[in-house]
Amino acid sequence: MAAEQPKAIAVKELEKKFDSFVAVDRISFEVSAGEIFGFLGPNGAGKSTTIRMLCGILEPSGGSGTVGGFDIRRQPEKVKAAIGYMSQKFSLYEDLSVEENIDFYSGIYRIPAAKKADRKEWVLEMAGLRANRSARTGILSGGWKQRLALGCALLHEPSIIFLDEPTSGVDPVSRRRFWDLIYELAGKGVTAFVTTHYMDEAEYCDRLGLIYGGRLIAGGSPRELKTGLMREDVFQVVCAEPQAVMSDIERLAGVRSAALFGRAMHVIAQPGRGAQAEDEMRRLLGERGLAARVERIVPSLEDVFVSLIEAAEEAAK
Amino acid sequence: MFERIRYMLRKEFIQVLRDPHMNLTLFLTPVMQLLIYGYAVSTDIRNVQMAVMDLDNSPASRELVSRFEGSGYFNLVEHVDSEDRCREMLDLGQAQMVLRMNSGFGATIAAGRTASLQALLDGTDSNAAGIILSYTSTIVGDFSADLLERRERRLLGTGGGIRGPAERVASVELRTRAWFNDNLESRNFFVPGTVVHLVTLSALVLTSMAIVREKEIGTMEQILVMPITPLEFILGKTLPFVIIGLADVALITSVGWFWFGVPLRGSVALLFVSALVYLLTPLGAGLVISVISRTQQQASMSVFFFYFPAFLLSGFVFPIDSMPLPVQYVTYVNPVRYALVIVRGIFLKGVGLETLWPQMLILAGMGVVSIAVASKRFRKTLT
Amino acid sequence: MKSLFNDIRIIRTRAVARKEFIHVVRDPFSLGMAIGMPIMMLVLFGYALTLDVDNVPLAVWDQSNTVHSRDFIAQFSGSRYFSLRKRAGSYAELVRAIDTREALVAVVVARDFGELIAARRPAPVQVIVDGSDANTATIAIGYAQAVSRGWSERVRLHDSRRIGAAEVNQPLDLRPRVWFNEELESKNFIIPGLISVIMMVIAGLLTSLTIAGEWERGTMEQLVSTPVKGTELIVGKLVPYFAVGMLDVLLTVLMSEFIFHVPLRGSVVLLFVSAAIFMIGMLGIGILISTQYHSQLLASQLAILVTFLPAFLLSGFMFSVVNMPAVVQWVSYLVPARYFVTVIRGIYLKGVGLEVLWLDVALLTAFSALVMALAIVKFKKKLA
Repeated sequence: MAAEQPKAIAVKELEKKFDSFVAVDRISFEVSAGEIFGFLGPNGAGKSTTIRMLCGILEPSGGSGTVGGFDIRRQPEKVKAAIGYMSQKFSLYEDLSVEENIDFYSGIYRIPAAKKADRKEWVLEMAGLRANRSARTGILSGGWKQRLALGCALLHEPSIIFLDEPTSGVDPVSRRRFWDLIYELAGKGVTAFVTTHYMDEAEYCDRLGLIYGGRLIAGGSPRELKTGLMREDVFQVVCAEPQAVMSDIERLAGVRSAALFGRAMHVIAQPGRGAQAEDEMRRLLGERGLAARVERIVPSLEDVFVSLIEAAEEAAK
Repeated sequence: MFERIRYMLRKEFIQVLRDPHMNLTLFLTPVMQLLIYGYAVSTDIRNVQMAVMDLDNSPASRELVSRFEGSGYFNLVEHVDSEDRCREMLDLGQAQMVLRMNSGFGATIAAGRTASLQALLDGTDSNAAGIILSYTSTIVGDFSADLLERRERRLLGTGGGIRGPAERVASVELRTRAWFNDNLESRNFFVPGTVVHLVTLSALVLTSMAIVREKEIGTMEQILVMPITPLEFILGKTLPFVIIGLADVALITSVGWFWFGVPLRGSVALLFVSALVYLLTPLGAGLVISVISRTQQQASMSVFFFYFPAFLLSGFVFPIDSMPLPVQYVTYVNPVRYALVIVRGIFLKGVGLETLWPQMLILAGMGVVSIAVASKRFRKTLT
Repeated sequence: MKSLFNDIRIIRTRAVARKEFIHVVRDPFSLGMAIGMPIMMLVLFGYALTLDVDNVPLAVWDQSNTVHSRDFIAQFSGSRYFSLRKRAGSYAELVRAIDTREALVAVVVARDFGELIAARRPAPVQVIVDGSDANTATIAIGYAQAVSRGWSERVRLHDSRRIGAAEVNQPLDLRPRVWFNEELESKNFIIPGLISVIMMVIAGLLTSLTIAGEWERGTMEQLVSTPVKGTELIVGKLVPYFAVGMLDVLLTVLMSEFIFHVPLRGSVVLLFVSAAIFMIGMLGIGILISTQYHSQLLASQLAILVTFLPAFLLSGFMFSVVNMPAVVQWVSYLVPARYFVTVIRGIYLKGVGLEVLWLDVALLTAFSALVMALAIVKFKKKLA
């Protein structure tokens, strides 16, 4: 076997307990260099806890991990020197100006004097804040702050960046621009570890880890998850007032669950009984005299996720 | 409305009481402060470090020295025999007073003349020095009076004249009685005051910091979005601290009573009612501070900035009567002043409403004004 | 120990210091109070507050109403120590006067006072003192005794001259001499010590909030994910607060000199050097507290408890420590402010220098170094 490239991030049985509460329950995964890895899960699933352990700012209760080749438990300071971290609250100094924040982090990361001015301009350009360099950070809106925070985390051109919910509370246009930035960076070989609870953002990642209740319940590329993981068929039912028939549909043979999805309904069939479910649905809708369209679709990540969570909850019982 | 207040109260209480560190602050620190104040704050001057330079060493000089030692106030540390050592002891603070008697002291007295003696005092602590000087004068004065009596008896006895040998001399005998505090324990003076002080500080700090904290962290916005009227918000935020304040009063009073033996001669019920009335004022002040402060740092600085002078000008340690007249007028608007009168009255004098009603009335008035002003300013920020 | 100093980089420290300066300057509210507080305290202590007792309100009940008794009472009302507020005619009136604080002292002259004095027999006089303020009461009793003794001596002297006996000399003449603070001006006593209290307040309040505040706001989480070292962070944060603190010291010294005319007899250099050492220690305590408690409310409460209170009560600033119970004196040895107050009073009033104060200065230095080392060691670049 050819010598493998060392993984940018490698985690084995990582665990974090707060008293008796297990926030992160022995998870293991790997991220290759240059990958955009998304850590997906609802609030409270353990995403922030994991990212903090990887950055060396939270002591794990068990397990091990390396970031950039450095051990997160024994060499946290070396880890910190190699990474960029953007915490959930953006963590900029509100009473400092945009420029002053950049200068501060320049000093903290010891950007050499020769490069200082260039990097500063790069950040200002990237964040679109050239014209507002003297503005007080506190008055900026969410989108600007987010980009500024990202810029400050990238000042020292780290090869691995950790972004904790970088787009929460940010408008969709800014979110889009943000992901463009991440792609650009990944193109240059930067590894990005991003946590999010926005399912649609998961599609932008190279690989995903789905975390729920502190456990990693799935991992893989978005395509793999959508096609490989779901054995069940997913149907989209479009009709008038779907909520009226939803509970009836759920009780049909072959149907596992139904949920509203926008103005339509997504129905998940039981494993291997997709055809039966489809027939039953068409029959029911015909009986009710409702004009409807039933078609099989490729599941969205949300469907995958919900299904996986339900499976996990059932397994726990 | 009461429903919502009840929910807010419950949330506040849970937040406050579940945090073990908070419990420390709320209950342990006042007790610790009380202990410190109780033991350390004392203006009683005892154990005065004294040195004697007795170059005479006659019965008279020795008798005087033994009177000092026997007084219970002085501690004879050293017999000094040189100027330099004298100076050294004062410089180094090893003696607070040095008594100097030159040779010939006893002989001069026996000859019926006036003998002088010197007392060197370390004036750096002028209060202590003043008191030490007064002790010294008293002891020397008493000794002198005795010597005079002996002298006069000798003179008048042998010289014949109008009076007989058993003749007395006119003198005034002072019989002193201290009311309310028989042993003049300064602790009995300070502990009741400490109750007021700690409760005020708690109320101020907790109210202002708790509200500003939400502003600083950002949870304030969430609260403002809730369907809650400004009045409910204010009550919900301040009531827990009123209750905690009263709990503190109970706690500190008990410690003061059990541990320090400070008498509580008046009505306990009146104590709590007064505490309640009084607390309105610092609560209102805390609210105002929370409005004008953006960060907790500003809030705590403000509390200190405004409370410190209030504390010092309240009569807690420094007697108001000795302050310059203009300053005395200023103390009339200081609610702590009245609270102290009430608390001391209840603890030590055992008086009740019939004597304390003026202070209660004033405090009630101040409290109402304070809460009204605070509410108004607070409403403006909420809406 | 090696790891403490190995990777320190000036550039990171400077970045932190610069940022902290900006924070301080952009918060004129706090800055104003940090400067205003010493001024306020100086005014209070220099002008308004004193433990000296004057004008003690007095009530008298003269049951004798003779020449002698009136003369006796006049001695009281004429003295600057007493202020005659009420002439009572009954016991109940006296009680009322004391209960309502109209009077703190009551003098009761018995009906037979005049006769007894005329007969040259001891005449008892009752003095009742409101003991709730023990300090004033003690002092007032002292005054009453002095006044009464003075009156007795006057009568005796008058008698002696009248019967033509040889001039009876007072056996003893006490010559008190007060060193260091000759007029016993309490402001000379308090103001030098006040500098230490001011410093404790500023140091304690400001620094205890700074690290805890960053944790609360979330910026500290960001900072600890960077290579910045604990030492750099702490030193960088100290710099502006140190500057503010020393500015306060300068302000206090200038005001003491030019407004309150407190004599400064010793070395100014030693004054500022020891103030600087003390300041570092106090700032260190604030930072130490801040590293352990991530809540600003908690940190500030603890800071007040640990820095300000002991400084106020146990440093000798206001209350004479040597006259406290032994146990309390032992505790006071642990209070660094005590040594600083000794140094500062020594410099101001006694005019002594290192030859006398070397031990106190050494202890202060040791304390400050220890606290700073502790703060640095205890600072964890982790959330938990």
